[in-house]
Amino acid sequence: MMPSLLILIPLFVIMAINLPKHTGRRLAFYLALALFATQMILAVFHQKLFLTNEAVGIDRFFRVDLSIDHLGVVALVCMGIVSISSLFVSRYMPLDESERFKFTNLLVIMSIGMCGIVMAKDIFSLYVFLEITAIASFILIAFKKDIGGLEGAFKYLVLSAIATVFMLLSIAAILLVSKDTSFAAITEALKVSGSQPVVIAAIAIFLCGLFIKGGIFPFHGWLPDAYESSPAPVSILLAGIVTKVAGVYTIMRITMLFGSSASINNVLLLLGTLSILVGAFAALGQDNFKRMLAYSSISQVGYIILGIGAGTPLGMAAAIFHFFNHAMFKSLLFVNAAALEKETGTVSMSKMGGLAERMPVTGTTSVIGILSAAGIPPLAGFWSKLLIIVALWQAGRYSYAAIAIFAGVVTLGYLLTMQRKVFFGKLSAGLDDVKEAGFGIVLPSVILASIVVLTGLLFPFIFQSFIIPVKELLQH
Amino acid sequence: MHILLIVIGLPIATGLAILSIPARTKGLREVLSILGMAANLVLVSTFFGKDIYLTLPWAGGGIDLSFRLYSFNSFILIAAAALGFLITLYSASSMYGKGYSRLFLAYILISFGLVNGALLSDNLIAMLFFWEGLLLTLFAMIAVGNKNAFRTATKAFIIVGVCDLVMMVGIALAGHISGTLSMSKMAVPMTGMGGLAFLFMMIGAISKAGSMPFHSWIPDAAIDAPLPFMALLPGALEKLMGIYFLTRISLDIFKLEMHSWASTLMMTVGAITILVAVLMALVQKNYKKLLSYHAISQVGYMVLGIGTMTPVGIVGGLFHMINNAMYKSCLFLTGGAVEKEAGTTDLDKLGGLGLKMPITFACFIITALSISGVPPFNGFFSKELVYDGALERGRIFYFAAVLGSFFTAASFLKLGHAAFLGKLDSRNSKVKEASWYMLIPMILIALSCVVFGIYNGLPIDRIIRPALGNAIHGGHSFAGFPKNMALVAGTVVVLIAALLNHLYGVKKTGKGLGAVDHIHNVPGLSWIYDKAERGYFDPYNIGRILVKAAALILSSLDKIIDFFFSNVVVWAADTTGLVIRKMHNGSHKMYIMWSLVATVIVIIFLMRTM
Repeated sequence: MMPSLLILIPLFVIMAINLPKHTGRRLAFYLALALFATQMILAVFHQKLFLTNEAVGIDRFFRVDLSIDHLGVVALVCMGIVSISSLFVSRYMPLDESERFKFTNLLVIMSIGMCGIVMAKDIFSLYVFLEITAIASFILIAFKKDIGGLEGAFKYLVLSAIATVFMLLSIAAILLVSKDTSFAAITEALKVSGSQPVVIAAIAIFLCGLFIKGGIFPFHGWLPDAYESSPAPVSILLAGIVTKVAGVYTIMRITMLFGSSASINNVLLLLGTLSILVGAFAALGQDNFKRMLAYSSISQVGYIILGIGAGTPLGMAAAIFHFFNHAMFKSLLFVNAAALEKETGTVSMSKMGGLAERMPVTGTTSVIGILSAAGIPPLAGFWSKLLIIVALWQAGRYSYAAIAIFAGVVTLGYLLTMQRKVFFGKLSAGLDDVKEAGFGIVLPSVILASIVVLTGLLFPFIFQSFIIPVKELLQH
Repeated sequence: MHILLIVIGLPIATGLAILSIPARTKGLREVLSILGMAANLVLVSTFFGKDIYLTLPWAGGGIDLSFRLYSFNSFILIAAAALGFLITLYSASSMYGKGYSRLFLAYILISFGLVNGALLSDNLIAMLFFWEGLLLTLFAMIAVGNKNAFRTATKAFIIVGVCDLVMMVGIALAGHISGTLSMSKMAVPMTGMGGLAFLFMMIGAISKAGSMPFHSWIPDAAIDAPLPFMALLPGALEKLMGIYFLTRISLDIFKLEMHSWASTLMMTVGAITILVAVLMALVQKNYKKLLSYHAISQVGYMVLGIGTMTPVGIVGGLFHMINNAMYKSCLFLTGGAVEKEAGTTDLDKLGGLGLKMPITFACFIITALSISGVPPFNGFFSKELVYDGALERGRIFYFAAVLGSFFTAASFLKLGHAAFLGKLDSRNSKVKEASWYMLIPMILIALSCVVFGIYNGLPIDRIIRPALGNAIHGGHSFAGFPKNMALVAGTVVVLIAALLNHLYGVKKTGKGLGAVDHIHNVPGLSWIYDKAERGYFDPYNIGRILVKAAALILSSLDKIIDFFFSNVVVWAADTTGLVIRKMHNGSHKMYIMWSLVATVIVIIFLMRTM
């Protein structure tokens, strides 16, 4: 078996649903569902399937260089779960059939891009897959073709363009010292000429390009607008996985590629901390549910960046663990946001209130989500934040660890405010007809909440079977 | 099962059985409680003169369930069991048909299991376990009383609980210093932390006995708790346990010297307790409350006697402990009989009951003479021994003790006169003698007061001296009539003075109740009495005021902290959030600027540092 299958199968699915005009449209949903399920299965069992390092079969034919490691598996599993959630939600949103079909297509294309990002072992391929993902995102954000969506897409487009320029420039500069663009060659070249100013500048702007993609302060300007104005299934995708794979996962890869250095770690730690604080404080007074969650995303990404910035194997393992947890609870919260938007017709929190009695499942899963986000034991988010803080402490970054703990209080503050405004208290006027959202929204919400709870409760198992191997793998 | 464990387990099991008997089976619980206490008495009687050691693994780390039966605690066990049996007999009759009798009888039985456990324990932690358990039954037994009882129970619980806590710290200190928690192996020097440990453990012991300043719940309980409670716990058991433990720590664990500060401290506490409590007793107008102050005052003699650290004082203190347990519980029982028949213990409404209740009156006379220290009753002999010890250590302690005796005698003359002599109140014309179940315990106890007086060699030579061992008393016998005739003469003078004082007071006011009004009305003293009656000097009330003041200060501090968190912090967070939100004005030009500026900074930073 070959890693390139993860790219080829979606391509085949796109062809399959587009060629036969009517059957394909009807089957699109189920094919996409099957595709994401397959993707997860392939990812989880990759060690058995993709054991060999030699390029075989089609891989040799196309001369692509792809591979999966532990970090990749986590990203692929997250992608599968979040994409399925998004797919379910899209089915119950007010889209007509042809729009839903378009959405499914774009989703599959986006998944091709993300799979490529995850598996790429070549900096130029990485760039290409980033672009594929970005282009699909632009269209998805503006999917409703309303003014807000277009504006959000435009901002993302402009800043992504800057990121593109940065990355291309950087690749060009790296090619000055390296014989080709593969990770292996770059590592070799950096050993020899890593201290040349042009190379350092190349590293710097590549990282800044990725910061834009990941929405890290102060490169995050596009992010709240994009999340807020995109349709519900798209915000789930963007918040849960797209910006994380494009911006955060790539930063992990690139820092591993460039080698851990104190300077890069300092930059990561500083920007991570600023993201945490700015995101949290900006979320504190938001009235728009989705915008609040968008700022919360910036804040949570800050934690992941802090874990990477610790510069230790434990920090990296904690970061990928938080990556997974964040994908789960943030998608959960955005799924709930979709439910609220659909049922109440608004995203303004001041117009909601007392919805827990009308939407008991949404209210309950929301509590699980916010507690995990705020890092309350024994939910998943607690363990990953704890590991990040432990990693920072072990690395001697005490003040960053302290800030990370402090920001948890602010996180709890804005999320509990949200919960109280939306779900608790007396039912607000005009919401008497509200009922629980449909099966397609409740199901992903419940599944994601169960994953959050189970990951938290099974933490000892996860620690033994995942964190420790990743840590040891990274130590080599 | 081991015999020692049966002695602890059987009363508790019986108590639990009583609790589980349905309420409508009348009489069964009374029979069961009397049988349980009788079995307890029979069992502990077989212990006399035996040495048994039993150790069972428990918590580990030097904390095990080790019990040691030897001459000292065996006699206390027997004394407690005998009094307990008689008082249970009395309660079963006096409480018959009352709603709380089931609870009360069960608590008596459970208390006895705990008392036996505490007395038998050799390991201090095991002892604490039983000792603290008694705190719960103490609380429960007071709380079943009248409508104020719950508040009084809380007061008792807090005072005794705090003192127990202090004792716990003392035990921890002593265990830390000596490296063992077994009382029979412990030896702690009185220097430095050892002294502190002694002080803490002494506070635990004398507060259990009811000494000042840990006494103030007892007069309240006298009014609010069921009467047998007073006869049983403050009257008898708590004295036995407190003084037993005080003796153990003074003689076994710390081995006090005669002229040490601790000895002087104990004597001072004893002397003050005697005088202050008896002065309070003097002016009481309620039968039970008057007795309750004597229950406090008498502890003073025991603490004083043991505090002298002279052989004669220690023997006298312990002898006084047994005597007091007998006559004090009997006095309370006479009070209970009066209360049951006349319906009140208010001395204003009593009077002339002597002819209506001749047997009760006779028991009262015997025990009142005992407590006043009139020969040949038991109180006389033990008090003489305490005087002897006190005189050896300093005249002032002797004078305090003798003055205490004067007031004791005066107050019992007043009490007897007011309750049993004088004119019969018209409301009490139908009063008759109490039932035999109540009389028999009183008669038996009163008779033993006579026996222990006339044949005082029996308790002193057969029980107390073997318990203390030769090292303490040096083979010297203190039995028989006191050798020091000067002391006897002093006592006689004091008793005659008390009688004269009584006659003077009666003549002046014309009634028995007014016999001490001339003392009550001494300028200055009356002011103090007034304040004391209103509870101004009650350490509990003072403590409550202090706690309230501290609470006020802390709550204002808390308000400041609250203000900081709910106003200052919220304002800061809101403002920060507002500023950050204002910065996100939606202009993509602004966002691009941020990104570019940040990129330049990152490039410069990396170029400089890498």
